[in-house]
Amino acid sequence: MQEAFDLLNEYGPKAALIAGGTDVLVKIRNTKKAPPVLISLRGLKDLAYIRKDGGYAIGALTTHRMLELSDLVKAELGALHDAASQVGSVQIRNVATLGGNICNAAPSADTAGPLLVLDASAVIEGPQGRRTVPMVEFFMGTYKTILKQGEILIGFHIPESMATFGSAYWKHSRREAMELPLLGVAASIRLSQGRAVLDGRIALTVAAPTPVRAYKAEEFLKGKPLDPEVLREAGRIAASPDCCSPRDSLRCEAWYRREMIQVFVPRMINLAAERGGNP
Amino acid sequence: MEKISVSFTLNGYAVTAEVPATWSFLRTLRDYFELTGTKEGCGVGECGACTVIVEGKAVNACLYPVHEMEGLSVTTIEGLTGEDGGMHPLQTAFLENNGVQCGFCTSGMIMSAKALLDENPHPTEEEIRTGIAGNFCRCTGYIQIVEAIDMAAKAVK
Amino acid sequence: MSNHLFVGKGIPRTIEADKVTGRAVYIDDLKRPGMLFGKILYSKYAHARIKGVETSKAEKLPGVRAVLTGLNTPSVRVGFLNDQVPLKGEVVRQFRDEVAAVAAISPDIAEEALELIEVEYEELPAVFDPLEAMKEDAPLVHEVDARGRPVRTNMLPLPWRFNAGDVEEARKNSAYTVKDRVQTTWVSQCCMGTSGCVAEFDMNGNLTLYNQTNVPFLDKQRITEYFSKIGLAGKKVRVVNAVVGGSFGTKLDTDIYEFIGILLALKTRRPVKILFTREEEFRTLPPRQPAIFDIEQGCDRTGKLTFRKVDAVLDNGAYTSWGATTPSVMMMPISSLYRVPNVSFEAKCVYTNNIYCQAMRGYGNPQATFAVETSMDRLAEEAGIDPGKFRLMNCNHPGEETPMRLRITSCGLEECIHAVQEKLNWEDKKGKNKGRGVGMASLIHVAGGARVYKSDGHGMMIKVDQNGNVDVLESGTDQGQGSPTVISQMVAEALGFRPEDISLTMGDTGLCLWDAGTHASRHTFMAGNAALEACEKVKRQILEMAAEHMPRVIKRGFKYKKRKDPDFVEPDLDYGLITDPDNLDIKDRIIFPNSDPEHPYFKVEVSQILTNALHVGTGESKVVVGEAFYDPPTEMLDREMKGNLSCTYAFGTTGVEVEVDEETGEVKILDLVAAHDVGKAINPTLVKGQIYGAAYTGVGYALTEEMALRAGRVTNPNFRDYKMLTAKDVVPVEPIIIEPGDEAGPYGAKGIGEPGLVPTAPAIANAVYDAIGVRIKELPITPEKVLAALRERADVC
Repeated sequence: MQEAFDLLNEYGPKAALIAGGTDVLVKIRNTKKAPPVLISLRGLKDLAYIRKDGGYAIGALTTHRMLELSDLVKAELGALHDAASQVGSVQIRNVATLGGNICNAAPSADTAGPLLVLDASAVIEGPQGRRTVPMVEFFMGTYKTILKQGEILIGFHIPESMATFGSAYWKHSRREAMELPLLGVAASIRLSQGRAVLDGRIALTVAAPTPVRAYKAEEFLKGKPLDPEVLREAGRIAASPDCCSPRDSLRCEAWYRREMIQVFVPRMINLAAERGGNP
Repeated sequence: MEKISVSFTLNGYAVTAEVPATWSFLRTLRDYFELTGTKEGCGVGECGACTVIVEGKAVNACLYPVHEMEGLSVTTIEGLTGEDGGMHPLQTAFLENNGVQCGFCTSGMIMSAKALLDENPHPTEEEIRTGIAGNFCRCTGYIQIVEAIDMAAKAVK
Repeated sequence: MSNHLFVGKGIPRTIEADKVTGRAVYIDDLKRPGMLFGKILYSKYAHARIKGVETSKAEKLPGVRAVLTGLNTPSVRVGFLNDQVPLKGEVVRQFRDEVAAVAAISPDIAEEALELIEVEYEELPAVFDPLEAMKEDAPLVHEVDARGRPVRTNMLPLPWRFNAGDVEEARKNSAYTVKDRVQTTWVSQCCMGTSGCVAEFDMNGNLTLYNQTNVPFLDKQRITEYFSKIGLAGKKVRVVNAVVGGSFGTKLDTDIYEFIGILLALKTRRPVKILFTREEEFRTLPPRQPAIFDIEQGCDRTGKLTFRKVDAVLDNGAYTSWGATTPSVMMMPISSLYRVPNVSFEAKCVYTNNIYCQAMRGYGNPQATFAVETSMDRLAEEAGIDPGKFRLMNCNHPGEETPMRLRITSCGLEECIHAVQEKLNWEDKKGKNKGRGVGMASLIHVAGGARVYKSDGHGMMIKVDQNGNVDVLESGTDQGQGSPTVISQMVAEALGFRPEDISLTMGDTGLCLWDAGTHASRHTFMAGNAALEACEKVKRQILEMAAEHMPRVIKRGFKYKKRKDPDFVEPDLDYGLITDPDNLDIKDRIIFPNSDPEHPYFKVEVSQILTNALHVGTGESKVVVGEAFYDPPTEMLDREMKGNLSCTYAFGTTGVEVEVDEETGEVKILDLVAAHDVGKAINPTLVKGQIYGAAYTGVGYALTEEMALRAGRVTNPNFRDYKMLTAKDVVPVEPIIIEPGDEAGPYGAKGIGEPGLVPTAPAIANAVYDAIGVRIKELPITPEKVLAALRERADVC
């Protein structure tokens, strides 16, 4: 780690960090431009871990494949498991890291929505020491994060309270593999005995310049019973300009993205409820 | 162009490559070692034709910077055939069940399948399809490939 | 017939073991001593005048050996309509226009050199919509034609007009009619191996072109003609294929990159390799021809088809390749799929500044069948008849002649329709309209050659050495379809040898005879018939040698036995049985008398005869060699576009069950049944492979694939955004092989390479209609289109 910081310090803004390389190298190939210096973090093996100690700790260099194969993640962090398992292909997942993907900060990052609905925080190490930033504050803009020059994201922390939530993530795409999502819907939910919503989170990706929480829809859900009417309304609010601003792109039109938000917010809340989050 | 020296194990042999630092592992394989069995289908990790096995894991060689190979163990399609020239059950199965047509995707496809079977010797159809989801094929429609991998799984005891 | 040892069996592709072991040498892997790498610079505009090209910086870059532009290369036109030059020096007409080319000692340096070339453009108004381009005030894509005469229209001078019977009269007498506009768009062939070639001249100026072509002899001819126009008359051309990473129609023309490679090799006097990157492949390789169809059909009160009228508009792009000839194939389903007595068809091809098109698996048939078969369902509905019954009522039968004068010989269409109905449980599933539905579509395609050119011939030479090893010099090419295995089976069967005795050389114009091309699903049919003829000659030679040598060989055997075992008594045999070649045959490498196949002593291994008979001595030595050139008894299309251009036709029906998610518009395929009349399956495993692969591509064509051109630019030039299906996109395909046999086909076989794709999209479109009552008339049937249509219908209701 120290070596990484020394190098970052030495090369300053000329340097970029590379972990798995599946984002960085592709960008270099496609744009034919490369940063003068690439500092590889791949050797930092002890930053690849999935641990439960009270809350959940996931190292920044944990690959998507590790998350996919983890029984713990599958059982207790459903949305994150859904997302990680569907990134690209096995070949990509073997190499692409959670930290790398999040630091790339694409509005389409599959794991971003799940981290948001799981109340995750980013653990950042820098010249000024260590700081923790909630994921809701991590994304500053499209491909922009809160990381300062000289800082390295070293891991994620998910609070213990999330163990009482069930969560799910839907990646809407045209094919079943090798895809970036056209639209991502993540949800986490905690229900009362009578199947009313005690607490819930909804996050949308490819629906705004950054991954976003649909706060208004979450507020609406609080205390309400989980029936089709309620879910439909939650979906409508989530799809509205109050919560998101999907764009027309070459890949998909905005109207369809809004429609899919309305379809999948209810479906993912139901799935999250099925998985857990029931007392 | 600055050259670097990278030493690793390639198909069981200890080797050293002296190549430009910007080269991918795929280019190193094809242009330095002249092991052209691994193909370039897209160069950006979107097709799987360049799949090789690194430390037991299937990866796209086109996205693997060569310097990352230092000290690691790699298997390519050329390493699958036995010392005596005998074919791996996957290779035989692909020939028997028409899992290979034009053959361009085949090296990558077989390596993905090998990585799968090494990790999961009795995969379900769904697991097979997930294992090769990162390998595009235009000729076969995948069906006879999935069957061939299943045949090979049953043959590898 | 069922006595075959090899034909009809699914023997493995052992002959292609190099492909599974990484040994097969594709163009990507091919190296020639001193080889340079060529790269091409493409246009920055869809339509512009080139004011100037500055190449001095590129030329000075260390490692660069040649920089070519339209200004320092001959302005000789190439292509089907001679409407383009390899390197454009005056005007660029599409984004993929080749403006300059570099040869350098490494691909990196060549790429770098491209960036140093400065081109000054003056942008011109462009047109991207074929219907707009047809208008009088549309910008002209070409100002002059191939002969330099001024052009006043974007319409191509192509004669696609077909008429049979009286459509106007038939319309009056129809009880039911339907009229629709349907559209198909550009899709990419997506070969896993990208385009490329290696051009090399020898010291005498003769060219060897290492290539991937389906048409080595036509390629050779086109290049020879090009040579005569650029001062190389008399120089020879040899086309030699490397292992090919897929074709699907991409290698039927002589592409611009081939000419460029040749020009670079000429300039540098070194071998030059051109190899496309994937992005280049998507951006520049001519894709499948899109089409806009206005189709009208009618039937009488009982449901018998009365007429079919189709008008098509084809976006030809900026130049002309095989895309513009797809109407000649479209005519087949339009005039001859089902029995329809009155037919009219007109196709207009119009220049635009979009990408131009070439062949793709099916060659116009998938497009036209989409129009015909969705219209059939509409008509069936109007007439109140079940679509399956409707098709059976109008089904083609053996012995008929269609309005296009196609002579149907074998025809398993009825069986195919029945098979689909049965497997899909058609009666139960049809018409439920609750989000699940079934649909079907059929096809007719050439399956016994296709007389596109004056010669539809196919040559084969066979020689056998003294060990009984067989060399087959086969004029067709292998794109991965399995020809080497299938041809080995047929030759082995015909000769009486084993498939493993056979070595095949294909795709080399220096060694092989001549073939019109591995296209139109004709390879097995043509090669098989050539093989039967050649093998008969070869076998005759062997049997004549056997008649001469067999008695001696047997008697020698007895002498040897006697030496080892003095008690052995030489049997008294009738050697007359084996001295007449007409009474001998070979099976599984053993020569035996026909009149007594089980004779205990008259069985000799063929190599024993050959060893004795070939290298005999002065004046007596022999070789065993036979050749055949099979040119089938078919016709070219006449001026009215009529003629029996194939010996026999393939038929098939695809039936699909779909489930539509009415909230998302997504279509899921629950079952796909593909019943195909293949005459006879020489290798059922390989036939299935063709059906699977083609059906899968057809599903992509129906649901997910499209090249997204925006103002002439390909905006999805990669696998991430071009939606070819993955292994996780499960499509359950059930192939049903119908074998009615065929008297023209070798062992009764007909072609199957393309048919598997043809009816897939309309079957799916018809099934979607059955599921949700919504008809999408533009491919691909995306979730957005379905959802929008459902919403629209909801609004209306």
